[in-house]
Amino acid sequence: MIDPEILIRKGMPRGYFKDIFVRLALGSVTYLILIIALLLFARIIIDGAPAIFSTKFPFVDIEFLTAKNETLHVFDDAEGTRHQLPASKYNEYLDAHPGATIYNEKTFSYSGGGIAGPIAGTALLTLGAIILALFFGVSAAIYLAEYAKQSPFIHAVRLAILNLAGIPSIVFGLFGFSVFVLAVPVITNTPSDRSLLVIPLLINDFALSFQGWNSSLMAGCATLACMILPVIITASEESLRAVPQGFRDASLAMGATRWQTIRKCVLPYSMPGILTSSLLAITRVAGETAPIMFTAAVAAKDDFPWEGLSNPFDILSSQVQALPYHIYTLAARIPNSEFTQRAQYGSVLVFLILVAVLSFGSMLLRAKLRAKLKW
Amino acid sequence: MASEKSSNAKTGHKFQRSGFSYEQLIRFFFASNAGLSIVILTLIIAFLLKEGLGFFPGYRRDLETYRIAGLEFVDISRNNLTAHEQLTSLLNRAYYAEVNGKSSRELKRTEEASALYNAFTDQVGPTRDLILNNPQAETDGNAGMKAALLNNYEKQREKALQKPLSTPHLTNEERQQLIESLRARPPEATDDPPLVAALAQEFVAAQQKHAAPLQEFRTVIDDFESAGFDLGSIVMEMTESVTVTKEQLQTADILEKDRKTLLAAASGEKDPVERERLLADAHAALADKPDVETPMQALLERKPECVRLHEELKTASSAAFDKIPQSLTESDAKRILSAARKAWPVFITDLDMAPGKINAWKHTDPVPLSDAFMSFLTGKKWVTGGEWQDFYGILPLAIGSLMIAMIALSIAIPVSISAAIYVNHFAKPREQALVKPIIEFIQAIPSVVLGFVGILVFGTILREISVMDAFQWVPGFPIEERLNIFTAGCLLALMSIPTIFSLAEDALNNVPSAYAEASEALGASHVQTAFRVMIPASFSGILAAILLGFGRVIGETMVVLLVAGNRIKIPDFSEGLGAFFQPSHTLTGIIAQELGEVPLGSVHYRALFVVGIVLFAVVLGINATAHHFVNRAKK
Amino acid sequence: MVNSSTEASVSRDTAVQIQGVNFSYGSKQVLHDVTMDIPTKQVTAFIGPSGCGKSTLIRCINRINDRIPNARITSGSIRVHDIDIHRPDINMNELRRRVGMVFQKYNPFAKSIYENVVYGLRIAGVSKRSELDEAAEKALTSAALWNEVKDRLNSSAFGLSGGQQQRLCIARVIATEPDIVLMDEPCAALDPLATLKIEELIHELKQNYTIVIVTHNMSQATRCSDRTAFMYLGNLIEYGDTMQIFENPSNPQTEAYISGRFG
Repeated sequence: MIDPEILIRKGMPRGYFKDIFVRLALGSVTYLILIIALLLFARIIIDGAPAIFSTKFPFVDIEFLTAKNETLHVFDDAEGTRHQLPASKYNEYLDAHPGATIYNEKTFSYSGGGIAGPIAGTALLTLGAIILALFFGVSAAIYLAEYAKQSPFIHAVRLAILNLAGIPSIVFGLFGFSVFVLAVPVITNTPSDRSLLVIPLLINDFALSFQGWNSSLMAGCATLACMILPVIITASEESLRAVPQGFRDASLAMGATRWQTIRKCVLPYSMPGILTSSLLAITRVAGETAPIMFTAAVAAKDDFPWEGLSNPFDILSSQVQALPYHIYTLAARIPNSEFTQRAQYGSVLVFLILVAVLSFGSMLLRAKLRAKLKW
Repeated sequence: MASEKSSNAKTGHKFQRSGFSYEQLIRFFFASNAGLSIVILTLIIAFLLKEGLGFFPGYRRDLETYRIAGLEFVDISRNNLTAHEQLTSLLNRAYYAEVNGKSSRELKRTEEASALYNAFTDQVGPTRDLILNNPQAETDGNAGMKAALLNNYEKQREKALQKPLSTPHLTNEERQQLIESLRARPPEATDDPPLVAALAQEFVAAQQKHAAPLQEFRTVIDDFESAGFDLGSIVMEMTESVTVTKEQLQTADILEKDRKTLLAAASGEKDPVERERLLADAHAALADKPDVETPMQALLERKPECVRLHEELKTASSAAFDKIPQSLTESDAKRILSAARKAWPVFITDLDMAPGKINAWKHTDPVPLSDAFMSFLTGKKWVTGGEWQDFYGILPLAIGSLMIAMIALSIAIPVSISAAIYVNHFAKPREQALVKPIIEFIQAIPSVVLGFVGILVFGTILREISVMDAFQWVPGFPIEERLNIFTAGCLLALMSIPTIFSLAEDALNNVPSAYAEASEALGASHVQTAFRVMIPASFSGILAAILLGFGRVIGETMVVLLVAGNRIKIPDFSEGLGAFFQPSHTLTGIIAQELGEVPLGSVHYRALFVVGIVLFAVVLGINATAHHFVNRAKK
Repeated sequence: MVNSSTEASVSRDTAVQIQGVNFSYGSKQVLHDVTMDIPTKQVTAFIGPSGCGKSTLIRCINRINDRIPNARITSGSIRVHDIDIHRPDINMNELRRRVGMVFQKYNPFAKSIYENVVYGLRIAGVSKRSELDEAAEKALTSAALWNEVKDRLNSSAFGLSGGQQQRLCIARVIATEPDIVLMDEPCAALDPLATLKIEELIHELKQNYTIVIVTHNMSQATRCSDRTAFMYLGNLIEYGDTMQIFENPSNPQTEAYISGRFG
């Protein structure tokens, strides 16, 4: 029989302070991460807000979001007034003041005008890549979730997906460059010298030439699509498997074919999940720089991607500006000064807001989905 | 499920034919899409190898040319000469550190006065230029404009003088005098204010005064420097001759390649006339073998001279080095001098080895393919686009990548695993709902944004901290470059924290709750349960999380490209931990930086693909190990 | 709501006193005004259909229910050896060591057999090897496991059979020399032969420990318990000597249950 008194503690329990200490230490480390992250955002917001927000209605600097990117000219006129004008306005100014002398002129590349070009380019790249990746990724996931049995082929597919997911983005850049830019086949009547292989098609001198798509929107989309394919496949397979087996059994038992079952009883229920996780993939695609550096992106471009094309499909083979590459250019290639800050912090803030909206959107959707879809 | 269906179909249902083939087609479509992953992975490997493998023969040929043309021979002397020059520069720096250190008061006074004056000129510069260079304002009719400009100038001047820079080493009278002279300064004045000029003279006088007792040191340095002149001139002569030979060899290589292309075209050509023409062209392209033997003999005849000059260099520089003052008084000078003393024995050993190397060197030694492999894997130099000789050694890049990863992981591992334990085991549900999405959002921040923050914010903050007196005990402080291994490591830590955190948290979550329950039922406290039961049980998963974080850090490109400083050099480990504050380049960064600028198919281009292969293999290896641990954790 | 054991006398023979306990998970009340005394050095069995609150009740006795958010005793008290276990200065670690618990699903840690047995001692701060060795042998012997595992003390606990693992969990509990051992359906995951061994073990342990066992197996309750409590929908329906409950139940619901008409 024990002495009941030992159940009552005298003073603090043993290890009380140690417990408190460990708990505090772990907790403070956790909150330290949050604080550092918040400080970082705060810094970008404080420095970037003047570029894209204004005190007047509509409180957003529309021009920064809708104007093309240009070189910034900073100069004084004869009266000593300082002007900061993007290249096009600068030329207008010169035309309007013929014979005027300007002083202390400085130019800053990529710092004038707005960032509509990079935004449009990123939107096109992301859209193209997501469409490709969703098409192939969901199809692959359907096979894995609905048809596949244990077989060497499936084992190899899973291994390939696992490995693809771990490949560094710069290696995807090398791959995209050597395959999509330099080696994929095109139909042309003037094969390039460096074509790997030319197969004549016997129609009007046309030939299938393995010479690549050059640095272009479609090469960039294809590279990005390859990169996120494993993400899409994994997420889609998960969504498909989340649909209860009973749905399939019931449908098959009523005489539906497997494809009918998938189309009517599986895909509709897994689609919300697939789309939610592809939002997350969009965030990743939009933010990647390394894979598009050599396959699609260009630092400066005078026109929007859709301008000056003889036929609409040419947009696929033109180079585009891209927001992440634009930020890289602004950070690495131009000196930091008071005149470039607007472009630098403004672009980063816009980009960060885009990413935040996308990722919090996907988080909210996911939470909603979990609450709604309870089988 | 699928097998049931198909076996049903085989039994001979009346819709068998059409249903079977249509379903089969759909099935085949999906299967081929699943196979796409395999195709992509195969293509990645195939094209990396296709572009990369040509590197080794190409690089071997480069190294062969390097030897046949005699560049390698010249480099033996050249490297020693470079070492000698570096020593000279160290001694010079020590000398000036001593002199300037002793005249530091005068130096500070002149610097402060000039800084104040320069800040003033910067502020009034634009308005001043307008007055001086505006032809419109000169004309008589524009008196009003001129007055306006002058008024502008005066406004700027007052603004500049409202808060002049602080000048702690100037007396109040001097400061007042300087400010007054600036205020009274007419816009067209060009000469320095009197005080600035006087202080500059004062400094020069002080320098001269303190240099006088160091006269002997000065002479020693000059002697030391001149010890290398003879070897320098002969290296210069040899350099010229071998460069000519090298160019001839390279031209011959190009012609030979053209000829092969022509011959290949001729063999494929069906029209006999055209074929004849191509063959003739090919024959014409058959270059005379460049004469490498004659210049080589001339070069080899210089062997005794080179040896002699090396010995002379050794005698002369040793004699000078012995006379260097034992110690200097200023701390900077002492530090630089001790660095020179540290480098000295290495230099002497190299000099001693040189004659042996020179005599043993033969231009006819073959260059096997393994030399190209070894030179790539163990080479300490990555030099490209130079006029002399390109080297593709991966070590500086690999070491840079590894050091950055070390910094990143040594920050990220403790932080993210502590956070994972806290969130999983201690946090209330409401806290979890706050912490998890924010950390998840950090993961979503594009790396280029982090790199941008590193360049414009973090690097600057780090440098400001590093010059503070309170932190001078940290090795490597004050840092020279704001973009360095440490800066990159910190940002990559921030990047890998979410990865490691969420995987480690998953691993902890997967520990059956029965473990925690049993532990607490035995009287264990929360902390005891966490450390004695939860962590050991999820150890494999946590290890996998760390490895996957490592893979992510090694493969990350944009942050290191922007923030690591991009200096292709193995950090100087003689500075101990200070080596982590030096700039560096990385495996990923080099590809991103150089691929856009190299000619397609060149050796340099292929070298970048080999770096890509190395990266691919390393990251895949790390991930495979990680998945091994994950699978073990599942069992 | 009949209660056959109404006298609330505090004697040395009473190990646990439960008085008017109401318990709820969030807004869902699962125990209604349960009052009973559990005698020392006897086996008390809780029986009843699933969801009747018998597991919840046993988990209140060592306050392991505290782990579940929003789960709490809304009124009433539980006293162990006349100490209210909800008093603010209760020594929780000591309480749980004195009131050991064996779970429904055997749950040894992913450690060696030896480390599993001495875990409770280690966290109590015992680190002397000889002391640990002695305690381990004693506990394993009491759990009738010593002869089976003495040659492989350092191999993983997962290498044992299910019954052995559950006996290891019992050894782990009695290594800290508790006074009361709570068993929450200890045989639910075991085959009949292993169940038999555990029941034999319970007989042995009764000499030294107060045992409370939750079971849905009525024959098990008759085989190994001295007193039996029948619970239904969160109420204690009947509590008394096992013989009396099974042979001559005073409550019609009890009779219906033990004769197999529901549950």
